[in-house]
Amino acid sequence: MTFESAQKELEEIVQRLETGQAPLDETVRLWERGEELYKFCREQLDAAHGRIEELARRQEPA
Amino acid sequence: MKVEALEYGDRKVFTVSAFNRGVADWLSRLPTIWVEGEVTELKRQDRWQTVFFTLKDPSDGACLRVTIGRGRFDALKLGLENGRRVHVFGRPELFEAKGDFSLRALSIEHFGLGDHLAALERLKTKLAAEGLFERKRALPRFPRLVGVVTGNDAAAKRDILTAIQTRFPPARVLVAETYVQGPYAAAAIVDAMSELCKAEDLEVIVVARGGGSFEDLLPFSDERLVRAVASCRVPVVSAVGHEQDTPLCDLAADVRASTPSVAARLVVPDADELLERLDRARAGLTRGARRTVERDRERLDRTRERLGRAPALAVERRSARLEHAAARLRALAPHATLERGYAIVRAGDTIVRTGDQVAAGTRVDVELAEGGFGARVEDVT
Repeated sequence: MTFESAQKELEEIVQRLETGQAPLDETVRLWERGEELYKFCREQLDAAHGRIEELARRQEPA
Repeated sequence: MKVEALEYGDRKVFTVSAFNRGVADWLSRLPTIWVEGEVTELKRQDRWQTVFFTLKDPSDGACLRVTIGRGRFDALKLGLENGRRVHVFGRPELFEAKGDFSLRALSIEHFGLGDHLAALERLKTKLAAEGLFERKRALPRFPRLVGVVTGNDAAAKRDILTAIQTRFPPARVLVAETYVQGPYAAAAIVDAMSELCKAEDLEVIVVARGGGSFEDLLPFSDERLVRAVASCRVPVVSAVGHEQDTPLCDLAADVRASTPSVAARLVVPDADELLERLDRARAGLTRGARRTVERDRERLDRTRERLGRAPALAVERRSARLEHAAARLRALAPHATLERGYAIVRAGDTIVRTGDQVAAGTRVDVELAEGGFGARVEDVT
């Protein structure tokens, strides 16, 4: 799973829930899946952010 | 004239005098011709019958003794000085007493600036027709080895060395000192260039010479030099003379610089400026990366907010639909009764169920299966 594919799936889930296309018994399951995708994306972003800041810090003394 | 020889057995031997006379005689049969050269070692004395000078070939320094009768020389009123370019009309001659060979001048003419310019113009036209001034190569961006051809007098050399080394310390400079004026200059510069080209990693050559008189700069219009510049293995930057001078090597060079220090700026980049640009690019890189992450994060946050609201929304939507259905169900119940011909009578908001709810003249509303009407009570039973 890449960040982009996870983000895409998450947005599709939200779209389905919001337009009421999902059956009721699936709503909770979709929501859980959405939260899971969110967590994944968030971790990816935090990792990228941390790496960028680390590199930026390292180049400052140069 | 008959030249007598002595006979020793089968060997024929001439006296010096006879030999000289013979050569002189043979030379005297050569035609009179024009010879061009530069006057040097001019010797004229009022008590001498003859004026002497040496005619030098400015391109390679070859020399020719010239003699001319003093009377004839004075009559020409040339005001001749050493260093002047002249055309001499005369015939070869041997001074028998000394065995000295010379050109016996009958006439001398100045070959002036105008003539030089005309000759240069002819050469320029010829070389241009060969396409010698067409080919322009790009200079290397980050040369490791720069060749500099320059005179051994310091100014131009120092300027260019300092400029190259302060601007771009990684570049090495190979200097070839050579004559940059006078009869040997053109050949010497050509040699210097080919010497520099032997360095395998050489990437560019600068030919530098400070300003000078028109004559001083003539070697830089010499055909051999111009051809060497045009066919050089690496690009050539010509920085000769001042802005207004255009020696032919400027035209043949890949790039022309107005002064040696301008040439230095052209052949190497400014290292400080490069570093600054690199730093700016790096800062931009960090900014760009941060912005990308920031944008993705905001988008993700918005999506999550929507996700959080979505299940409640879905339930709410369903319950609203349910309510709606229930309401419609309730509303539909009396309708069936009305359909059968019953009517609902209201006085104000109250449904009229008993006669004593109204009096004569009370306004009532009557609802039917389809539509309804307003009425007034006639009497109460």
